[in-house]
Amino acid sequence: MKALEVTGINFSYGLPTGKVNNTSNGTGQEYVLKDFSLSVISGQFHALLGPNGAGKTTLMRIITGQLMVKSGAVKIYGSQMSDQNALRSIGYAPQPISLYPTLTAKENLRFFGTMAGLSEGEIIERSENVLEETGLSSYALKYVNTYSGGMLRRLNLAVALLHSPKLLLLDEPTVGVDPQSRNHIYQTLAKLNESGVTILLSTHIMEDAQRLCSRVTLVDQGKDIFSGDMAGIDNLEKFFLEKTGHGLRDE
Amino acid sequence: MNNFNKFKELIRKELLILLRDRQTILLLFLMPVALIFFMSVALEGVWTDKVTGRKIQMVVENESDAPKANLLAEKIKSNKLIQHVDRPQGMDNDQIFERGKVQAIVTIPQGFDEGEKPVEIYFDPVIDAGYKIAARSLLTSLTVEVVMGIDNLETVIAGLIIEKKKPNMDFPSPLQQTVPAYAIFAMFFIAIPMSIGFLKEKNDGTLQRLFTYPVNANLIVLGKIIPYYLINLTQFVLMLLVGVYVMSHIISFSFQLGNHPWHMLPVTLVVAAATTGFGVLVAALARTPEQSSTLAATGAILMGVFGGVMVPHVVMPLAMKKMAMISPMYWAHQAYLDIFLRDAAFGTILPKLIVLTLFAGMCFYIAGRRIKWM
Repeated sequence: MKALEVTGINFSYGLPTGKVNNTSNGTGQEYVLKDFSLSVISGQFHALLGPNGAGKTTLMRIITGQLMVKSGAVKIYGSQMSDQNALRSIGYAPQPISLYPTLTAKENLRFFGTMAGLSEGEIIERSENVLEETGLSSYALKYVNTYSGGMLRRLNLAVALLHSPKLLLLDEPTVGVDPQSRNHIYQTLAKLNESGVTILLSTHIMEDAQRLCSRVTLVDQGKDIFSGDMAGIDNLEKFFLEKTGHGLRDE
Repeated sequence: MNNFNKFKELIRKELLILLRDRQTILLLFLMPVALIFFMSVALEGVWTDKVTGRKIQMVVENESDAPKANLLAEKIKSNKLIQHVDRPQGMDNDQIFERGKVQAIVTIPQGFDEGEKPVEIYFDPVIDAGYKIAARSLLTSLTVEVVMGIDNLETVIAGLIIEKKKPNMDFPSPLQQTVPAYAIFAMFFIAIPMSIGFLKEKNDGTLQRLFTYPVNANLIVLGKIIPYYLINLTQFVLMLLVGVYVMSHIISFSFQLGNHPWHMLPVTLVVAAATTGFGVLVAALARTPEQSSTLAATGAILMGVFGGVMVPHVVMPLAMKKMAMISPMYWAHQAYLDIFLRDAAFGTILPKLIVLTLFAGMCFYIAGRRIKWM
């Protein structure tokens, strides 16, 4: 069964580039994603890789319903985005730390839990679970603005896990964290995947992607340049550079 | 039920964030209390009776030794509204006024009794025109009493002219102006935390994250507006309580609610809609929290200056009085003055509420067109 199905999406932010070419939508605006499709099978740990500015975060934002596309479709477990069923199925940890700094971890979890439609009892129970999973139980009542970078990343993930989503979308969940926190986050993700949660992971850390993921999609200049099993790739970093080139990229 | 829980939680979150921000609390609640106190004291002279409200400090010099001149000097010195001050040794008029302890110098010249020379009055150049007129009127009465040989002109005039006013209505105190004025002023300042909060959430991604949950977008919008609306209502109630129960004891001015205090309810509901509308508009126009705080503060201060909040509308020149009408604060303030001072019927207040509702509607409409959630 397909956990996520993205078909033929075109997207531009509406920033004029002053030139019309094959990546333009005809109004002088450059496409961030051009006729893009992606499938993630249920239970998979799927890596989404690409250089800076390739369109990964935009894709994540389209999948999670934050950005609307004029053409193409996003389906989550068969439900069209942004149906309530589709939204209930996803857990999203965005790249920026998207938490309320003057609330405690518990208050943040309570807020996002309520938004996910959990009951009071479910929120209490699930909050304890996710705080334990992310190693933050003893900091539950501390204000988030007192957290270290690694703790913030873990809480950012805990919020995404709170409502037990079937599909977890993670946009660079280990940016700026120390190896200990990174290791902890990936152990948590591996356990979740073993328990049947589908994960789409966007990251720049090739060795982590190769170690954890069974399938990979490479995105560059808004296009899918490779989709396949990780098993067939010996050295992901080398493969990545071969596919995307060695030239520096602007955001 | 689920939507109601989400709505409650959206409001709870917003209030928690707002109430944990000490600067915001100072801005929204302590700033208006301090302004009500200081501005009431400072504006005492504008609303109190110029003559009976405070004693005039006056140097009285009698250069004549004639009977009428002596009688006038005596009447001036013994008048209960005048505090006689002796001319300090070796000081001319300018030096006396520079010290700031005398408002007028009265000289009764030789030849006054004979009608050859008039009484001379010098005023401190910085005193306001109203005060000057009141002091001159008092001196005129005393001089007329002496010249015409009338014993008590005030009693005679009281038989000819009488001021009628509504029963139980004291002379308007400065609190009648400052309590509604600075309550409105502070309510408009809600635009600062409101717009900053919105832009911070937008910039740090929490707002975008919220849209990945099964929550109705209208609920999110209401969840961002209602808490500030409630804070606005709380601000007004608190300022009213401060005016009625606290300030009237500290600075001994009375604060009267008028005969139709229930009119405050629709007025406050509409004023709060206008202030939150202004907040939403600022949030929609600004791109950064810094920009929004500058825009909101500048807007509120300008509306306050034009609208008769910082400079009372009654003392403005005619052209400024007309210009005041462009400020929503003017309409809000006048609506409250209708209640507190004029005892106006609701029909008189209604047009002001319509103007404020239109302002609120315009703000929400423009914001709705301009706002970028992502």
